[in-house]
Amino acid sequence: MTIAALEIDSVDVGFGQVDSRTEILANINLTVQHNEFVAIIGFSGSGKSTLMNLLAGIQQPDVGEVRMHGKMVTAPGPERGILFQNYSLLPWLSVFGNIELAVKQVFPQMTKAERKQHIQHYIAMVSLTGSEWKNPSELSGGMRQRLSLARTLSMRPDVLLLDEPLSALDALTRANLQDEIIRIWEEDRRTVVMITNDVDEAVLMADRIIALTPGPKATLGQSFPVTLSRPRDRTTLNFNPDFKTLRNKVTRYLTDINQEAKQLRKVADVTLPDLSPYDFTAV
Amino acid sequence: MSESTQDKIKYGLLKAIDVSGFKVFDPVVRLAFGEEPKKQSADIAKYLITPMLFVMLCLGLWAVIAPRHKTKSGEVPTPTQVWDAAVVNDTLNEREDEKQADFGLSGAERDAVIAQVTAELELKEAESTELKAALLQVEQDVKAEIAADIAPLQSEYDALVAQGDLLQTQRKASIQKLAKDVAAKKIGSVELLQAILADSDVTDAEKDAEKLIKEQMNDVRSNPPKALKKARLASNAVANEAGHLRKRLDYLKTGNRDIKVAKAEDKTAAALQKLETATTPAAVLAAAKSVVSGKQTAERTAEQQYPRTATIWFQVKRSLFTVFVGFVMAAVVAIPVGIMCGLNKVVMACLTPIISVFKPVSPVVWLLIFQIVVGAFFPDPENHPLFTFFASLPLIGDLGVNPALVFSACTVAICAVWPALVNTALGVSSIDQDHMNVARVLRLSLWSRLFKIVIPSSLPLVFAGLRISLGVGWMVLIAAEALSSSDGLGKFVWDEYQNGSSHSFANIIFACFVVGIIGFFLDRIMILLQRSVSFDDGAAVV
Repeated sequence: MTIAALEIDSVDVGFGQVDSRTEILANINLTVQHNEFVAIIGFSGSGKSTLMNLLAGIQQPDVGEVRMHGKMVTAPGPERGILFQNYSLLPWLSVFGNIELAVKQVFPQMTKAERKQHIQHYIAMVSLTGSEWKNPSELSGGMRQRLSLARTLSMRPDVLLLDEPLSALDALTRANLQDEIIRIWEEDRRTVVMITNDVDEAVLMADRIIALTPGPKATLGQSFPVTLSRPRDRTTLNFNPDFKTLRNKVTRYLTDINQEAKQLRKVADVTLPDLSPYDFTAV
Repeated sequence: MSESTQDKIKYGLLKAIDVSGFKVFDPVVRLAFGEEPKKQSADIAKYLITPMLFVMLCLGLWAVIAPRHKTKSGEVPTPTQVWDAAVVNDTLNEREDEKQADFGLSGAERDAVIAQVTAELELKEAESTELKAALLQVEQDVKAEIAADIAPLQSEYDALVAQGDLLQTQRKASIQKLAKDVAAKKIGSVELLQAILADSDVTDAEKDAEKLIKEQMNDVRSNPPKALKKARLASNAVANEAGHLRKRLDYLKTGNRDIKVAKAEDKTAAALQKLETATTPAAVLAAAKSVVSGKQTAERTAEQQYPRTATIWFQVKRSLFTVFVGFVMAAVVAIPVGIMCGLNKVVMACLTPIISVFKPVSPVVWLLIFQIVVGAFFPDPENHPLFTFFASLPLIGDLGVNPALVFSACTVAICAVWPALVNTALGVSSIDQDHMNVARVLRLSLWSRLFKIVIPSSLPLVFAGLRISLGVGWMVLIAAEALSSSDGLGKFVWDEYQNGSSHSFANIIFACFVVGIIGFFLDRIMILLQRSVSFDDGAAVV
């Protein structure tokens, strides 16, 4: 058996003092194969970002292990490129400067000319050519996320971690960037873990969708393999019965576990006031 | 001019106005380019003309109220008097410039200037005598006028005095008579007591009446007509200028450096001759000594500089230099320490008590401490390498860097260090966590993290702190200079206060405006710097 690209092995994460501890994630197990595109879908507040931080190594689990290619992850590094939800661009650097900072650090042996070519390549890949010397504040939301993507990709990471990368964008820009990410991924395949709250997005992009149950004590639920053939075209996909079935299945599952969680969470019965509507039309 | 270049100029100007913090002039520029004249005119009226009118109103109030308040040092000066003081101070500076130039002139150049100044002096002297005669005439006229005004008052006064004396003797006689009667037990003492009381009352009333007339006469004497004031001012001004020209001639003819050197050289030559002809050992020794001393004098004189009196602009330069030194000292300490505080909570915890205790200490206390502590480093300031080094520098040499300046600069530094330090610490500790995550993912080294993430990200707040620091420093400096007698605006104000001449009060208020305006421009410069390092386009608080 080959070693998995990414592994999460019975991980627990919580926060707070000992007496008032809240478990965010409990008993998380995940194996991502080489060059697999996995989407993790869940409701907001279920600990999606915490999960992503664990994979990136920004946060350490309280119990269990995170492994990449069989080696334990103890700190963040450029081999696991993370695309942050809020872009995390350095506002005092230009488009070029933001990517340069990463490239200089990850490939210190590059000559100046090579580096420039490398940076330009990634700027072109995300269609930002012509905006090299603009500052992030002069870019639109979509352009910022594309720049962030270019910066992440320019580090040539083995694993790409996408933390709700498109959730802050409007629908049109979002669709646009989805296509772009897929195009880039298909050109240059690698392991991807994407976190999202959009079922369509997950079905359109991923090889496998895994649900995260609502927190606290969130854990990974059912896994749905996506067998739709690639390239997937969003315009025709809407009429594809497999797509529809899968989407409905995932949505129903998510709704169900959400109901369940809500019922679980309902601790005390709320006594409603004893009131009945009064009919004013009779007066 | 094509449309686009015009637009370029317009937006360039608007940007410049915005960045430099003079946003009030924005509608003026827009109006000049014909953009929405109605709206711009309304904006100009609201935000430019109204404030201007308000300032005028304040000046008007000042002009009306000031002369009505009499103080120990005379009336509070009006805006005009303060303006005159400004002009006088500026003239003083110009004259110093001229005299300094005269001191260093030599050869044909000097001859030319001598001719020119002599001619000017002749003209001025002629004018002066004329004006003096005119003044004398006016004085006589005024004297006659005053005499005429006073004569009736004087006769009234004399009459009053004479009458009072007469009545007083009468009352005295009647009291004496009453006293006699009382002694003879003809009447009781009550009547006598009443008479004495009434006498003193009446005498007081008479004295008051006399005093009133006397005051009227004094008023007439002490309020000479405007014509006299004007004539006196004109005469004084020309006499003053003539005096200055005479002094210039002095510096050109006898006080000139070259001439002094020549004199010393002549003396040396004479002494040399004496040395050759001397026969007795005592005479030889004396001559040789005078040759040596003559040579030394010539050398010293050749290096002599004109001893400038400190004018206001010199004081401004020196104050700016002092505040700059203090500010740089503060920044050099505050920024690294602030960064350490922001990065490390332990460092912050260590420094918090020190900052909290020393931040509120008055600059006066600091100055005294520095005078004692730092003063110990300069037992012989004349020959201290630090001061000889500063004296040898081109522009700064003239400022006369001395221990007092060092104390003032240190005081500025320690008072200015706190805002910069606290703001830097705040800037560093409030770095966006996402930016730090980027640094962690990239595995940046400590130095790269510091210079590529931490410092750029905290620069806007650092500069905001530096701006506050400079403002505090400038404010503290004036007090420090006044107290430490370090030449500068503070000393200027203090000297004027001690001086107590008729111009002093106006000079102090003039200095107040100079301090304020310079402080304003320093602040603007800092805003400019702050804006240039702000990446988020957030407008600095103006």
